[in-house]
Order: sequence, then C-alpha cells, then structure tokens
Amino acid sequence: MNEVSSSASSRPQGLAFLELGERLRQRGQYEAAATVANAGLVHYPALADAHDLLGRIRSDQGQDASAISAWRAALECDPGHVGALKGLAFLSFRGRDFATAERYLEQASRESPHDLTLLSALDKVRSARPASAPEAPPQLADLSSGLLLFDGQGMRLTGGIGPGSSADVADAAAAEGAGLVREAGRVTRLLGLGAWQHLLVEGADFRLAAIPVTAEAFLLVSRPSSMPAGRLMATATRAGLAARDWLERMT
Amino acid sequence: MSLERWPQILREITGIAGVRGALIVSTDDGLVIAESAMESVPTSDVAALTSALVSRARKTAHAAHGAAPRTVHLTASEGTLLAMAGPDPLWLVALADPHVELGRLRVLLGDFAVSLA
Repeated sequence: MNEVSSSASSRPQGLAFLELGERLRQRGQYEAAATVANAGLVHYPALADAHDLLGRIRSDQGQDASAISAWRAALECDPGHVGALKGLAFLSFRGRDFATAERYLEQASRESPHDLTLLSALDKVRSARPASAPEAPPQLADLSSGLLLFDGQGMRLTGGIGPGSSADVADAAAAEGAGLVREAGRVTRLLGLGAWQHLLVEGADFRLAAIPVTAEAFLLVSRPSSMPAGRLMATATRAGLAARDWLERMT
Repeated sequence: MSLERWPQILREITGIAGVRGALIVSTDDGLVIAESAMESVPTSDVAALTSALVSRARKTAHAAHGAAPRTVHLTASEGTLLAMAGPDPLWLVALADPHVELGRLRVLLGDFAVSLA
C-alpha cells in the first residue's frame, strides 16, 4: 500500500487517487481502494470516473446494490460514461437480464463506436439470450420504430426512421429511398445479377437496410451501427413479412 | 499508399473465391481508375452503375441520418456488389458470386479502402 501510495502521489497532477484506487482494486485490497475512492469523491463529487471506480470496487466485492448506485451516480455526472454503462451492463448480464444488458451496451457502443470490447460484449450478451426469448414484434406504425414502408413513388406508407426523428424526416427518407431502390433494380438488371434481394447502406453511426416487400412497396430498416449487419438483415427479413401483412390488411 | 500498390490490392481481392472483379472507381464521374476483373465483367458499366447507386445511397443516408455512407452492399439472386468508400471520391468495389465468402470480402475491402489514401 505504501509503495503504491507513494508511486501515485508522485504524479505531478491531481486525480492521482483514481489510479491509486484502481491499482488497489486490482490487488484485491478493496476496502483500501474504497477508502481512496470515497476520499476522492469528497473533493470531486461530480467526477464520473470516481463514481465509476467505486462501482468497480463494490462490484468486485459482490455488493451489487452499492455498485449500481455508484454507476448511476456516474451517469448523473456524465450520461454517456462508457465505464458506468459497461458496469451496469455487466451486472444486468450477471443477473441474467440480457435485454437490459444489451440496452446499456448499445448505449455505450453509441458513445464509443470503435471500442471492439463493447462489440464483443454485445455479441456475448446476444448469444447468451435464451433462444425462446421472443423479440418485440415489429411496430410498423410507429415513427420511432426505425421501420419505414414506402411505395415506388417515394410516398411514405407508414413508419419512420427511429427514435427522435420526425415525420418530415421519414417523408424525406421515403422520397430518397424510392430513388435508391429504383437504382438497385437498375444495377442488378443491367449487370445481369438477377432479382435484387436487399441493399445495405452503412455509415459511421448507422446502418440502413432496404428490401422489396412487393413489386410496389419497399421497406427501409434503420438501426445504429452497433447492430451487426447479419442481424440487421434478419431483422429486415422479419419486418418485411410484417410489412406484407400490413399491406394486405390495408388493401 | 503508393499507386503502385493498387493493382496488388485488386489482385488480393480477386483472389477470394467467387470474386469476379475488383475496381477502384471515381464516383464523381463514374469512371474506372484501376481494375482487376474477369473478361466477362463489364467494368465500365460496373463503375458507372456503382457511382449512381452510391449517389442515391448518399442522398438517402443524408435524408435519414444526416450522414454519409461508407459502405453500399447490394445483394441479388445471382451476384453481389460491395462498395466501400476510400478517400473522396474513390470507392473500392467488388463484384462477386452469391456464394462468395462475404465476411472475408467485407473485412478485406474495408481494410484496403481506407488505405487507398
């Protein structure tokens, strides 16, 4: 402890208690680590990293309720704190609440899209989910569903682009989406590729999948880039069936 | 990366079983910049059509998310077209059979596309 203390305190800048606490935690000296973290929080009560450190210590001690409190406090200081989100995901996973774990990890992945450990953790959580656990049925009529059904003329039939997006955005996406699917048909026809089945458009933070539902209707599925491409295609296929049902009920 | 490396990159891509051709395309004008393809592949057509598709994908992505696409992947019953953005306006494009090792092709194309600069 003395050796570690003197090493950390020799750093020229403040907040050395974070490193000291973490090193004590890694050595299994949990009470000493907690003392250091709590002492730091007296001086820096709004420092998310300090709450995160305390969360990790309490989690290691098996004090899940205290760990959750600490990580929630970290998120109050910094709503996008990746360490706290990962911690809460871990505890949810340990409690076999896979849906909550996935939600925390997806949020963390949006904050830190290039963190491969998060993508790996997401895969682990998703693969651990019981096969019988039903996914929520596609909610086509919901603007926040990320499912946009439109016709070949670019008119929106139902749905939207996702949480927080407006009807205007959905209308604009439908208008442009019609041009996109028309072009997809032209490409496959002129290159002799047969009938087009799906089109994936990926950006830094998003993935879009377009599929034909009927000859005159198309579905655009929008998801964050944290969703693997293969899963997005499976989601799109499933949503396409729901869209076909919806069209049949409407006509 | 030097231009001399480009043909080697394209050959590595076409080395994947099922890839019919690989191209570096300028999406500004739809022209082929470099290519390695089977004789049966109409590379000029692939370049022009990919550019048009990327342009449409760009407009849709902007309308939906206000952001630009990096990858456009079209799957059809008898083939697949995969395009990944390099330094603007270049895109790295592969035309492949339906049974191609898609995961491997995506990783390789992604690695090479960013290294075109």
